Amino acid sequence: MHPDGELEALMARYQEGDFTAATALIDRLSPRIHRFFAVQFTSRASADDLLQETWLRIHEVRHTYRPGEPVLPWLYAIARHIRVDHYRKAGRTSARETSLDETPEIPAPHGAHAAAMTVEELLAPLPPSQREVVEMLKIAGMSLEEVARATSSSIGSVKQKAFRAYEKLRERLGRMGGRS
Amino acid sequence: MRDGEIDDILKKAADARPGPDPALLDRIAGSIQPGMRPVRPLPSARALELLLYLAALAISVIVAAKLGLHGFAAMSGPQILILAAIPILIARATVLTIGAMTPGSKAREAPLTLFGIACASLVALFAILFRDPLSGPFVAPGLACLSAGVITAIPVGLAAWWLLHRGFVVNLAGAGLAAGTLAGLAGVVMLELHCPNFQTAHVIVWHMAVVPVSAALGLLAAKLVQIRRAHRRAG
Repeated sequence: MHPDGELEALMARYQEGDFTAATALIDRLSPRIHRFFAVQFTSRASADDLLQETWLRIHEVRHTYRPGEPVLPWLYAIARHIRVDHYRKAGRTSARETSLDETPEIPAPHGAHAAAMTVEELLAPLPPSQREVVEMLKIAGMSLEEVARATSSSIGSVKQKAFRAYEKLRERLGRMGGRS
Repeated sequence: MRDGEIDDILKKAADARPGPDPALLDRIAGSIQPGMRPVRPLPSARALELLLYLAALAISVIVAAKLGLHGFAAMSGPQILILAAIPILIARATVLTIGAMTPGSKAREAPLTLFGIACASLVALFAILFRDPLSGPFVAPGLACLSAGVITAIPVGLAAWWLLHRGFVVNLAGAGLAAGTLAGLAGVVMLELHCPNFQTAHVIVWHMAVVPVSAALGLLAAKLVQIRRAHRRAG
């Protein structure tokens, strides 16, 4: 079965009250959600908390998943909502988003080697909106349409963000000597 | 450096990253286990869209019929076109409102775009179809129309909100704007059926104003829900 089809089948069983399906989903999807939070400049402890909060919310609103629809956009849209809520609660959402969007490029650690960098370090110079698109599109392997659904934007906007992000990454990695 | 090489670097870095602690995953599974029970998924989006669409039109027609279908009776052939055009805008607003119920649903257009298209279309249609010159009082009858339109929009907005409440809205402001625009358009349909004042300035200013006023009320309702959610979580 196609991996997405498997997720859809597990979601349907989860909605029917099957606990083994719920644990299978938690095991399979948590690494993605955890990484999604981690690349947004969140500490590991915060990523753990947000992951837990996301699953509680998913459990609360699991009836909003429509069988046959792709699972990942639904899941990531909820995770994004939790993240925004977290920033809002901390009273720094707008300030943080603005400052990150305007942050001058963060230089790579001295003597850094692209292959030795963590995914958080690699994506650090990107604004949050580009970072989340790269994470979903290039790392989580979602399609353009799935990313557009998850981020409530158009496919054109996703393509543009991915293009701009790759321009920045190419320039940065190129400056590091392109050693990979 | 080619895109494929950047892809490889990102994938390698992501694969090397340690995942969440298995003990944390056990805790998460343990925390949802007591609440495990079957749930019924939301009905299909098409069914909900049809329900909301029919409810919006029914409310407009019932209110207009109660107040008198004087506008409809006075309309000439081309002016009836307005009654064909506004339901198309209502259908688009319905699709957006129902889409807001489900996280990750396919976004056909942004709520703000829909609002802009609705306002611009109404102004253009009113300017083309209603050509009576301004005569007599302008403000008093205008305020009466605006009030009647907004009062009609309120039950439509409440119906939309009742449906939205059954889902999980991740973009409250967008949902409020879409639902408010939908409700406002329903209010305009009522006014076109009821109001026999076809002065260009009257319909462009006062009938059209129902849409932005309702949209603003939708945004306000969304803000209030957001504050309530925040309080509930903080508590």
